[in-house]
Amino acid sequence: MMQDRYADPQTTNWPDLVNPMEYTNPTTVDESVYDDDVVRMFFGATVIWGVVGMLVGVTIALQLAWWPANLGLPWTTFGRLRPLHTNAVIFAFAGNICFTGIYYSMQRLLKTRMWSDRLSRIHFWGWQAIIVAAAITLPLGLTQSKEYAELIWPIDIAIVVIWVIFAVNFFGTLATRKVKHIYVAIWFYISFVITIAVLHVVNSLAIPATLFRSYPVYSGMTDALVQWWYGHNAVGFFLTTPFLGLMYYFLPRAAERPVYSYRLSIVHFWSLVFLYIWTGPHHLLYSGLPDWAQTLGVVFSVMLLAPSWGGMLNGLLTLRGAWHRVRTDPVLKFFVVAVSFYGMSTFEGPMMAIRAVNSLAHFTNWVIGHVHSGALGWVGMMTFGTLYWLVPRLWKRELVYPNMATTHFWLATIGIVLYTVSMWAAGLIEGLMWRAVNERGLLASPAFMDIADRLDPFYGLRLLGGLLYFIGAVMMAWNIYRTVAASRAGAPTPSAATAAS
Amino acid sequence: MNPLLREAAESISLGWLAGLVTAFFIVWFVAWTWWAFSPKNKEKFEEAARMPLSDGGDS
Repeated sequence: MMQDRYADPQTTNWPDLVNPMEYTNPTTVDESVYDDDVVRMFFGATVIWGVVGMLVGVTIALQLAWWPANLGLPWTTFGRLRPLHTNAVIFAFAGNICFTGIYYSMQRLLKTRMWSDRLSRIHFWGWQAIIVAAAITLPLGLTQSKEYAELIWPIDIAIVVIWVIFAVNFFGTLATRKVKHIYVAIWFYISFVITIAVLHVVNSLAIPATLFRSYPVYSGMTDALVQWWYGHNAVGFFLTTPFLGLMYYFLPRAAERPVYSYRLSIVHFWSLVFLYIWTGPHHLLYSGLPDWAQTLGVVFSVMLLAPSWGGMLNGLLTLRGAWHRVRTDPVLKFFVVAVSFYGMSTFEGPMMAIRAVNSLAHFTNWVIGHVHSGALGWVGMMTFGTLYWLVPRLWKRELVYPNMATTHFWLATIGIVLYTVSMWAAGLIEGLMWRAVNERGLLASPAFMDIADRLDPFYGLRLLGGLLYFIGAVMMAWNIYRTVAASRAGAPTPSAATAAS
Repeated sequence: MNPLLREAAESISLGWLAGLVTAFFIVWFVAWTWWAFSPKNKEKFEEAARMPLSDGGDS
């Protein structure tokens, strides 16, 4: 029965579970040992920054379709708002859901409270302060000009301090765990905590000149290689591994099924982290980077298909026996589409890393389409599913508007399809027109504007897709806001009424 | 790069090293996969697959 799913854990019965000696008996764990306040804080930040980051995204999509939308002001031009959009959706929206999921799931998987409540709070407020600092400095044009690492050096140092505080709390919790075995989701979280620290420090090394300006320690090709070693692993270790951790925890929870193959998940984890770290050079094909290093990047990118699809299949097959619930449960709908888009974009990525395909796709809108099939499809849909699943657990109340979650799902799915398809088409047109030559061997379309003009309808479609996705996210924010308000007012839903007693 | 270092780097071929490293990682991968899928670990990992469900959570 539905209401039992949110009942007091001490009375929850798990008749069919195996409890090996090394694990604490789950029925003896008291929910109150967990720090869920910090989970609720990160949850709220995820929703708020998600709406803000997507609004900036829709704004710059509008600017590309209709340039007067840049308002003629320096602070609102595309060049300044674009890094604001990427930083907001990656580090604010995706970052906060990773922390939400990590704080919720690691306490439960390790059966212990976070090591230090104080460090959890410093982590939360420090991270939000960094986001606010980014939202102020980027429109002012203060930047290091490194993609996804635009923030100026004082903010970079703040990120290191807050990340170390998070890491101390994380590993402190791991050290004081009550369960012997470290579940696969936690391994994915560990790779996130360690690798992001290394990537951020190495790529951001710079000599400060003034409070706002600095000079990078790298130059030329070395700078480019370090930047894309960082840049691609921001995708790998900020937008992939922590979300695979979320998948391995929240998907089995939502489906109420065990992981399809835990043994596959072990091979999945180690091959994925081993291969990912070498793939950066695929951003520098046909550049001054030594040929062998380019080839290395291509080979590792192509190999990455195997663990990525292993993970995708493990996620989808975990749903075996629960597929009938996908029809009615919006959470599972979001997860199924998220994992499917993970599979699609991890097929597309290795393909685009091959030299022949890259020569067509590089610098075109195809790359933007690829990134958004991963970001909107995988990261965004995983986030929405996790948020909807967490609401009744964190606030002990069903969604006020359950049907609105399903509407959100369809708006988001249609939005992603419009976005990716329009960008594929735009990218192919650009790529083909840039390289087209006439019978005399001269460029067929030497005027850049001739090609840019052709993109208008696709920029319009992309704007529509992004707008649908954004409207869905606003509906979710409203739905969650109303649910939390109702929970605070003490109004029980019919289905939660018995659980509250 | 220092011209002397460049000359030194170009004068030696590290093909054998690349081969060795590749072979090492292949053996490592096969051994790791063997360990993960070995019958003696089957039961242990099937229990681990249920850990999210038995985590004393609130569902």
